[in-house]
Amino acid sequence: MRPLLRWIAPALVLAAGLALLVTGQLVRNGADTADRALTDRAATARVTEEVGSALGRAFSYSATDSEGTRTAARAVFTGAAGEQYRALTEQLRGWVGEQQLTLTSRVVATGVVRLDADRAELLVLLDQSARRPDGTPTLTAAQLLVGARLEAGHWLVTDLKSL
Amino acid sequence: MQTRSGWIRLAWGVALVVLVLGGLSHWQARSATAGERARAGALAAGRSAVAVLTSADAADPEATRARWLATTRAPLHDRLATGPAPDLTVRATVAEAALTALDPAGGSARMIAVVRLELTSAGGAVSTDRRRVTVALTRTGDGWKVADLATVPVEAV
Repeated sequence: MRPLLRWIAPALVLAAGLALLVTGQLVRNGADTADRALTDRAATARVTEEVGSALGRAFSYSATDSEGTRTAARAVFTGAAGEQYRALTEQLRGWVGEQQLTLTSRVVATGVVRLDADRAELLVLLDQSARRPDGTPTLTAAQLLVGARLEAGHWLVTDLKSL
Repeated sequence: MQTRSGWIRLAWGVALVVLVLGGLSHWQARSATAGERARAGALAAGRSAVAVLTSADAADPEATRARWLATTRAPLHDRLATGPAPDLTVRATVAEAALTALDPAGGSARMIAVVRLELTSAGGAVSTDRRRVTVALTRTGDGWKVADLATVPVEAV
């Protein structure tokens, strides 16, 4: 065999090894490993449950609610979400008082858009029912894009956007 | 001093070590990121499929149906193949979508989406609407496809 040819085979094997190394790195870069939405089942279930039940509570009121209940429900909102929550519910609160309405919200489905160690974004679908003491309920659908932050072991809502 | 065949043996040794390390690192990267890649693939395919499946062109019902069929698998695929042709023109955009379940190994996922619709009636009247849907996705040899799509109804709380 000619001397040069004898170098070609190991060179090709080396090139194949390097190609595997590089493509492996590309696979890693292409995948967003900082995002744990759905890949970390326990963390996904936890933020889904905490944010979902907080929203269900915060968007449910009745004329007979105590101030304590309402303050507790509002405590989950922080930063911009506090003002956004007030804007979303201002009109409702007026009606609740005037017409003795009971507004009940139930989370129908929650999807986690993104989940980092202490930040999350969720899409929450809610069914809302407004009922007068004597009347039949009026049903509406609500869908919220929710930003959340983990603080002292609890998920707080930092951003609320009605879609 | 090394002979030429000694140098070649050394080259072989280095090449094989690099091949084994490369293969190992590649395999590790692939298996460690299987979930992330399944998530990205399912969400991207699900988003665009929902836009296709909630859109329709009354002027060209067969082209609409062909687009629907291309993004679906059984059982939704079979329902669309035999169902009625669209008689309304709808332009849909997905406002937001998120996965609610993911099984990377089994190749299945569930997704919810909020869709904005612009409907044009036969008379030309335009109206807008919003639709919430749940979607079941399944991985096929041709990427992620929609196996089922349902509107989320508003129910008494």
